[in-house]
Amino acid sequence: MIKIAVYGKGGIGKSTTVSNIAAALAEQGLTVMQIGCDPKADSTMYLRGGVPMPTVLDLIRQKKNDFTLEDMVRKGYRGVLCVEAGGPTPGMGCAGRGIIAALEKLEEKGAYEVYQPDVVLYDVLGDVVCGGFSMPMRSGYADQVFVLTSGENMAIYAAANIAMAVENFKGRGYAALGGFILNRRNVKNEEEKAAELAANFQSSIIGTLNRSELVAEAEEQGKTLLEAFPDSPMAEEYRALARTMLGICKGEVKVC
Amino acid sequence: MKRSFRIISIYTADVSGVCSALYELGGMVVIHDPSGCNSTYNTHDETRWYDQDSLIFISGLSQIDAIMGNDDKLIHDVVTAARELRPRFIALVRSPIPYMNGTDFEGIARLIETETGIPTFFIPTNGMHDYVIGAGEALAEIARRFVLPSSEKMVRSVNLLGVTPLDFAGKGSVDSLHRILEEGGWTVRSCWAMGDDLDALAQAGTAQVNLVVSSVGLAAAKVLRERFGTPYVVGTPIGAFTDVLMSALERAAGTGENEVSCIDRPQFPDGKTVTLIGEPVTMGSLASAIAQEYRCNAKVLCPLELHDGLLAPGDLVIEGEEGAEAALQRAEIVVADPIYRLICPEGVEFHDLPHEAFSGRCYQKTMKNLMELFH
Repeated sequence: MIKIAVYGKGGIGKSTTVSNIAAALAEQGLTVMQIGCDPKADSTMYLRGGVPMPTVLDLIRQKKNDFTLEDMVRKGYRGVLCVEAGGPTPGMGCAGRGIIAALEKLEEKGAYEVYQPDVVLYDVLGDVVCGGFSMPMRSGYADQVFVLTSGENMAIYAAANIAMAVENFKGRGYAALGGFILNRRNVKNEEEKAAELAANFQSSIIGTLNRSELVAEAEEQGKTLLEAFPDSPMAEEYRALARTMLGICKGEVKVC
Repeated sequence: MKRSFRIISIYTADVSGVCSALYELGGMVVIHDPSGCNSTYNTHDETRWYDQDSLIFISGLSQIDAIMGNDDKLIHDVVTAARELRPRFIALVRSPIPYMNGTDFEGIARLIETETGIPTFFIPTNGMHDYVIGAGEALAEIARRFVLPSSEKMVRSVNLLGVTPLDFAGKGSVDSLHRILEEGGWTVRSCWAMGDDLDALAQAGTAQVNLVVSSVGLAAAKVLRERFGTPYVVGTPIGAFTDVLMSALERAAGTGENEVSCIDRPQFPDGKTVTLIGEPVTMGSLASAIAQEYRCNAKVLCPLELHDGLLAPGDLVIEGEEGAEAALQRAEIVVADPIYRLICPEGVEFHDLPHEAFSGRCYQKTMKNLMELFH
């Protein structure tokens, strides 16, 4: 089982990218599970026609432990297994602790043994603001962390913070830094800035995604781009990125 | 109000259970907590505190360390102390605060082990479970990490699993357990975990059978079953029940099958029923002994979390004080910790059986040796 966590600044396009990667991997015949680790609970939305689903924390809140694994998982496009951790009411509670509770509940209910996914993708909220948001990169969870960034300064800054956290946690047996993904916003010197960021962490830009209006158009339809426009050049970009990420996780592609 | 306690006590929590189970094994036990779990432990839950040395520490977690995630302070303090004291192992114990803020104990344990070269592990307690969970998981971890590989079995040898003062505080309990087994023709290979050190426990893989004398020993028994194929028998050698248990040990040695003997209890169509309250293995075994000895019915009310497969037909799981009160409404004869007297209806014939894990030191002077109750 390959476990991958994707981090990056809020609004950078993590959920869009992760959902399209999930779809691309599923196209290859792999069983893919995507776990949204964000209180907004919208990570897997476009794999499921844009409709909301009950989150793990909603189920715990409403039913304590009186629910099944199947209640937490919905099958989306190409059979991608979708899970949303969920979170507290905005401005209240503890979202980090919520992520921990949700991931522990999934494990307790045997999600990995029952579904036996080939690939698990953790789509994690913006910054690693507390212990809860580092959970997906801890031992037993993701093996590789990929960081999504654009050339915008705030995105670069957030990406550096995340990469720093991965570096700091190395001695604890956490996930390794798989590399950076450039999601182009077409800002000045974007390639150079992203390359400099990667070099600072002895890593590299493992994939580049161009800006495409088709992504937003697909989401208007409640779909991932791979579902709505499978023959578009953008779909090929996602497929190429998915292949590279898989190759890195299998040790077939070397990063820097 | 189902889980509230107005009159009676609550049972010792998981954090103290870990400390109690590991107390005599030469390791360093660190509770990551501001200081509260430790005073509960050494004031109420640990009878050996003033007579026998052990390396039980509290980290002194502060508000700012919790907010800032200052794990480095914990790591530094543990490493410094460990370098000086050279314990056999380091056990990190989680209290409610680090549980809530998600402190990564597995990562911290790995760092400490790398820095000190001393085996370091973490017991996932949170202060909200019963001692049987914490003590059980602590012994299971010892079984996973420290019992030496062995392919040979020593004929008619047995490990005693689940022996802590929380269930066996009566004077001479450990000696009685040894004596009874030896009289039955068995050699006690190791006792988990009173009276034996880590080196003795490390030999546990050579035993032919494991005897689980309290539910605290069940998790370790399952690990030893998995690692060495050793069958286990569940029950405490008390009174007339001892013969039943000895036969079960013989069978397990022969067939290699596990047996839960403490649910093996004679039933009588008429007569009074004796109600026992407490830990399911010791009380189930005592219930069987009483039933045989006095030819009456006996049932167990179990207020603890670990009871799956350990209760006989007619036994009950009770939740909270209300649950205990309701279950005692029709009781005729009760054998339980004296604190339960306070919620028994009038007219009940009550026999005191102090339980360290429930009333701490309150009745220490009258604490009974379960194995010698019928002598």
